[in-house]
Amino acid sequence: MEAVFPLVAGLNLDFNALPQQLINGIIVGSIYALIALGYTMVYGVLRLINFAHGEVFMLGAYTALLTSYTMGYSPEAVKKIFQDGGEVSSNPLNLVILILISMAVCAVIGALIEFFAYRPMRGESRTAALITAIGVSLFLQYAGQLFLPANPPPSISDKVNPYSGSFSHVFKPAQIAEDGNVISTAMEVSITHGRLTMLVTVIVLMSLLTYLVMYTKAGRAMRAASHDFDSASLMGINVNRVVTFTFMLGSALAGAGAMMLATFEGTALQPFFGVLPGVKAFVAAVLGGIGNIPGAVLGGIVMGLAETFVTWLGFSQYKDAVAFVILIIVLLLKPGGLLGSSKVEKV
Amino acid sequence: MAVLSMEQVTIKFGGLTAVNEVTFDIEKGDLYGLIGPNGAGKTTCFNMITGVYTPTSGKVIYDGRDISGMPPNKIAEVGICRTFQNIRLFSALSALENVMVGAYLRHETSLLSGFLLSPRAIKETAEMRKRAMEFLSVVDLAEEAHSRAADLSYGKQRRLEIARAMATNPKLILLDEPAAGMNPQEKDELREVVLRIRDEFEKTVLLIEHDMKFVMNLCEKIVVLDHGEEIARGGPAEIRSNPKVIEAYLGEAV
Amino acid sequence: MSLSKILGTRVISIIVAVAACVILDMALSSVIKDAYYIRLVMLAGIYVTLSVSLNLINGITGQFSIGHAGFYMVGAYAAGLSSNAFFDKQPLAMPAYLIVSILIGAGAAAVAGLIVGLPSLRLKGDYLAVVTLGFGEIIRIVTLNQEAWGGSYGYNVTNKYQSIALVFLLAIVCIAVCRNLLKSVHGLSFLAIREDEVAAQAMGVNLTRTKVTAFVVGAAFAGAAGALFAHDSGFINPDLFKMEVSFLILTMVVLGGTGSITGSVFAAMTLFIIPEMGRIIKFEVSQGMLVALLLAVGAMVWAIRRTTNHFHGAKPQKSLRYLLSVLVPIGVGFGVGKVIETYTILGDKIYKANDLRFVILALVLLVVMLIRPSGLFGHHEFSWDWVKSLFNRRAVKVEA
Repeated sequence: MEAVFPLVAGLNLDFNALPQQLINGIIVGSIYALIALGYTMVYGVLRLINFAHGEVFMLGAYTALLTSYTMGYSPEAVKKIFQDGGEVSSNPLNLVILILISMAVCAVIGALIEFFAYRPMRGESRTAALITAIGVSLFLQYAGQLFLPANPPPSISDKVNPYSGSFSHVFKPAQIAEDGNVISTAMEVSITHGRLTMLVTVIVLMSLLTYLVMYTKAGRAMRAASHDFDSASLMGINVNRVVTFTFMLGSALAGAGAMMLATFEGTALQPFFGVLPGVKAFVAAVLGGIGNIPGAVLGGIVMGLAETFVTWLGFSQYKDAVAFVILIIVLLLKPGGLLGSSKVEKV
Repeated sequence: MAVLSMEQVTIKFGGLTAVNEVTFDIEKGDLYGLIGPNGAGKTTCFNMITGVYTPTSGKVIYDGRDISGMPPNKIAEVGICRTFQNIRLFSALSALENVMVGAYLRHETSLLSGFLLSPRAIKETAEMRKRAMEFLSVVDLAEEAHSRAADLSYGKQRRLEIARAMATNPKLILLDEPAAGMNPQEKDELREVVLRIRDEFEKTVLLIEHDMKFVMNLCEKIVVLDHGEEIARGGPAEIRSNPKVIEAYLGEAV
Repeated sequence: MSLSKILGTRVISIIVAVAACVILDMALSSVIKDAYYIRLVMLAGIYVTLSVSLNLINGITGQFSIGHAGFYMVGAYAAGLSSNAFFDKQPLAMPAYLIVSILIGAGAAAVAGLIVGLPSLRLKGDYLAVVTLGFGEIIRIVTLNQEAWGGSYGYNVTNKYQSIALVFLLAIVCIAVCRNLLKSVHGLSFLAIREDEVAAQAMGVNLTRTKVTAFVVGAAFAGAAGALFAHDSGFINPDLFKMEVSFLILTMVVLGGTGSITGSVFAAMTLFIIPEMGRIIKFEVSQGMLVALLLAVGAMVWAIRRTTNHFHGAKPQKSLRYLLSVLVPIGVGFGVGKVIETYTILGDKIYKANDLRFVILALVLLVVMLIRPSGLFGHHEFSWDWVKSLFNRRAVKVEA
């Protein structure tokens, strides 16, 4: 490969690392997908980009953090147990409690934001609603800075995670010369049990969502409102309830993603920690076709893979810019996104 | 030479053929009616003439020139202007300002002179304001010159759209359901306005309408579309007694 | 023969404007000794230019651009880099060179405006907003990674120079250009695009040319302001041009009233203080008081909205209701806050003004949107006619 493409040679790529990066990308992407679903569903119903969704995600992570403290995993409590010579362990039930609480709290927050900030803007121009969304986002970030613990940024104790092992498979072992120099790296993939749980949870949640959206009355109402808000309300659908439901659903998914990210990846939490994932998830939603639920999932995976790919190429400092570049390319070439449709405006 | 020639104009959206090989000629000074039941493709034809859509096949010839697929602003420049089925006024602007936008098409000073507010730009602005007032008077809206377009009554808004289109100094003016929602008296006044447009201002008029009585009373030539195809063409008398037309409108009083 | 006939009103206005700026400069420089306050004055002028130029794109042409800080940054860096490279090799001294620098900054930003504006033409409101935000971020991240430009450490502009005169002259030019546009028939084509693109195009307006012009001119002025900023401060780094700055400028435009130049000026001169709040206005708030006040603001917004939407009585009663809607919640909130801070632990944590800067900005934005989305001035402009009408009304009253 290096001989054929000189540029590739200059980049010093490790092709053996590719399969692992693929897996990483899909896992990161699955979290983006969860958050992207919230954006896409809200946009589908209200034609509004919920700028504050990233902050709901952030609050979900903090909820998980604070809940874990009350469960006994605060830094002080853990330290005390060690000092007393004990052991700190967790079990899967704790995880279930954490994720349910995060999802519930986020759902409530989402509903409150909609009720107090977006509903009053329903009659106004889309620009006005968008500016309001920006305002809510900024407010939550900076109010969070005032009220949430951030110095130093806390993270959920890794003791909350009961899984310590990992599955791995070696395709090609590393070749090491006699003098210790590495001739080629190993081609192997490994996935921690925690990450596997994450992936499985995401799949479960998405299946639940699909069932909800496709086969329940509430889901049907949501799809109707997505198609034509005014007609739906004329047909007797309580659109206010549909909107609240949509917000709660999207926020709950974001909360789940936040809890998992905080617990299994040990991310440090600070009030602005929702900004980048929020933007990237939004790009994912647009990439897949905003308003399109499978599109959000596809978009999320693609975003995750793109990010990991850029890091693998060696440009990790531009990782965050990737999201914007992709956004711009997509909007220029296919404004409807990969799975979306470009609706023709009736003149 | 015809002012406008539709030559086998066809447009397909995905699998749907909205307009199929429609052909008709409009001569200078015609009062031409384009009628047909809902969904017949009338506004789609308008949209192809004004450049909103590009025909899949066939040609739109204006003054001997193929204008198929030209962008809407260029089409306005060459002399075709329109009103809209769903009123599209500049809501926050005054009636006078709306018409001035139409007049602006024929501006001669540069954008830079606007930014610098050169004496020539000031002069041109005053001239356009005057011309716009004249057009407002034509449609009897002079007193509403400074009212916000959004605040005007429905009938006045429709007339304002016509004044705005007229201000672009077109050769051919397209009216999309100009009488929609008007009461009989307003329709009579509208008829007078359209006749004035043709007689005094020497424009050629193509209009879409649902109100058969209005069309029969006003248009000299008519083409009837149904499901995207032409089913009849001729003068009011022929159209009125054409069995295919009656069938297409099934149940509608003619 | 009067002077105006000899020189023409326009030339006179230009001379007056320049003279006023120079006089303002001299007056302020001699009265204000603290360099920090001089900087504040300059910042006010710079933000006027930034918000009026954004208003051209957003308010007048209706294109939702929220990455304005990107253009500001391009101008600052272009001017700073070129100044360090070329100042010593060219004949002009400061402040004359500043004018060259302004042109360089404006030019670079104009190119950026072209790059952002052209592809954005097909995008609708929401998407355009995100793309402009994206461009702003891309510009920032790229600059952050350029070692030659100082990267995250920043860049030193060696030939520092502060010119209050030029800052305000730039602001006046920006205001004049926008106002001229609106007074001429050309301005109507921009407004038409804002109101209804489809109809505007059908009337012959060239959407591409007009939109791109708005972007380029708006960006150019932001870049010019950036050039002045770079030389004023002597040090620029990407952190000074983050998303928050774009949002600050956007808030100014929104608060003033999109489309109203007067509003943008007014809002700029009031809100520019916010990032600097910590150093000028010193106050402290306890956590309990803060919570109480935040809830009070919420109650106030609710009460005001209720009066706007549901009260149909006479004007004086309505005004009274508005007054009460503001005073009662704030008063109650203040009282409750005092109680909370005296009796609970929430009184322990203290916030300084500096900590509250951006919460206040976000609150301003939210409150404006929820109470009066059209902003303080709506679509109205200040005009001499309006001032005259004030006098006329009084005159009529006296006569009657």
